[in-house]
Amino acid sequence: MKKILSIAVYTLRQNIRNRIYYILVFFATVLIFVYFLLSVLGGEESLRIILDFGLTTIEFFALLLVIFSGVSLILEEIESKTVYLVLVRPIPKWYYIIGRYFGLVLSTYIGMIIMYLIHCAVLFCKGWSFDINYLYSVISSFMKIAIIGSLAVFFSLFSTSSASSLVFTFFLWLLGHFTSEIKFLIKKAGAPLLKILLEIFYFIIPNLQYFNWRDFLGSGLAPSWLLIAFLYGASYCLIFLILSIILFNKKEF
Amino acid sequence: MIAIKIENLTKIYRRRHLGKLYKTVGVKNLNLEIQEGEIFGLLGLNGSGKTTTIKLILGLLFPTEGKISIFGKLLPDRIVLNLVGYLPEIPYFHKFLTAKEVLRFYCNLSGVDKSIQEKTIDEVLNIVNLFNDSNKRISEYSKGMMQRLAIAQSLLHNPPILIFDELVSGLDPLGIREMRNFVLNLKEKGKTVFFSSHLISEVEKVCDRVGILHKGSLLKIVEQKDWQNKNLEEIFIETINTVQ
Repeated sequence: MKKILSIAVYTLRQNIRNRIYYILVFFATVLIFVYFLLSVLGGEESLRIILDFGLTTIEFFALLLVIFSGVSLILEEIESKTVYLVLVRPIPKWYYIIGRYFGLVLSTYIGMIIMYLIHCAVLFCKGWSFDINYLYSVISSFMKIAIIGSLAVFFSLFSTSSASSLVFTFFLWLLGHFTSEIKFLIKKAGAPLLKILLEIFYFIIPNLQYFNWRDFLGSGLAPSWLLIAFLYGASYCLIFLILSIILFNKKEF
Repeated sequence: MIAIKIENLTKIYRRRHLGKLYKTVGVKNLNLEIQEGEIFGLLGLNGSGKTTTIKLILGLLFPTEGKISIFGKLLPDRIVLNLVGYLPEIPYFHKFLTAKEVLRFYCNLSGVDKSIQEKTIDEVLNIVNLFNDSNKRISEYSKGMMQRLAIAQSLLHNPPILIFDELVSGLDPLGIREMRNFVLNLKEKGKTVFFSSHLISEVEKVCDRVGILHKGSLLKIVEQKDWQNKNLEEIFIETINTVQ
């Protein structure tokens, strides 16, 4: 466990010192302040503008953070051969995958927490009173990032270039928001083969709509839903991490 | 005692392209025994299989056939890796970290006790003459400093076997001399050193025995006394020419 933690801390340090990390967090922060200025256009709904745009921006920038760091995390280390120095240590190979994943997710969470704190400060300035749904939407976004992180790690092992793993991960993130549309397509599909293919596709892509809590703010969705979403998210991450470990164990360097 | 034993080791690289399978021989029926405390050099032209042999010993590649054991323990066994220190051909470290941070990380992975970690790190930094630059970010390091840091990480867990892939590759004359003395010091401490090189002049200065590898096959093992009578370069060229 200590060795996994050590790899996670190393990854965290590595990501946090990367200039891209600061740039993304900085831009998200700037955008939150831009919404603050734009909110005057919203009349009575000014708070809603800051709340909705802010949450979406934070999630989007967190997504960029996790994808950009995630796809290069392992692939770059393999290409630069830095990974050799870890793999020649007396530790099981899967420690590396799990440690890298936790470090990646943790560094993204730190960036997110900074952005959420700034967002809250801006909201409070506008007279917002804390709503528990805000916390639920934050937790949901955290879970989404954990899923995308596991996909980024998987694709960085699966593909041979950062660009292709970046495209794959981004593609799955995008499709993850259209699962109900895919379900509709399955119903409408006539050819049985197409139906089967779409069904398989439906189960492979992450259903990120489970985690769009911010879309349901004030709709009265029960918090117990979070537990279901968490179980789904955790299982999805686990499956993709196991697949990543299998791939990594078979890989020659 | 035999430190590293290689029996009938074969590695064939398989690559598929447009449905066709391409096979390349990495090493072929390699048999080698390296005694504890000796400096063994693996000499060969580029692409002769030196790095493949080293990677097979370290478990970075899987053998197609054959067995490797370290101090009698059959590989693959990840725990046995604790007995080995490794220097890669072109060492690279994450540029945003400092040397001390990198070494602390490798100490943790190698299981160096927390209570002696800082002392161990200072010791190895002193050995490789990098102590004064240990808090600098690696992005500020020169190639020679990177090489020294790479050696430092291989020494952290005090392994009895050291495997160096192209130890002096890309170093200036002073750096090469420093590395030579360093290897000889390791021998004095009773360490087993196994290293690959294509620089004959360096190999003959430090090695007890040399293996000549060509196109994946070990052609000959030469002992120090042999190249005292006859130049190692001549022996190498003669050996290579016999199979050309």
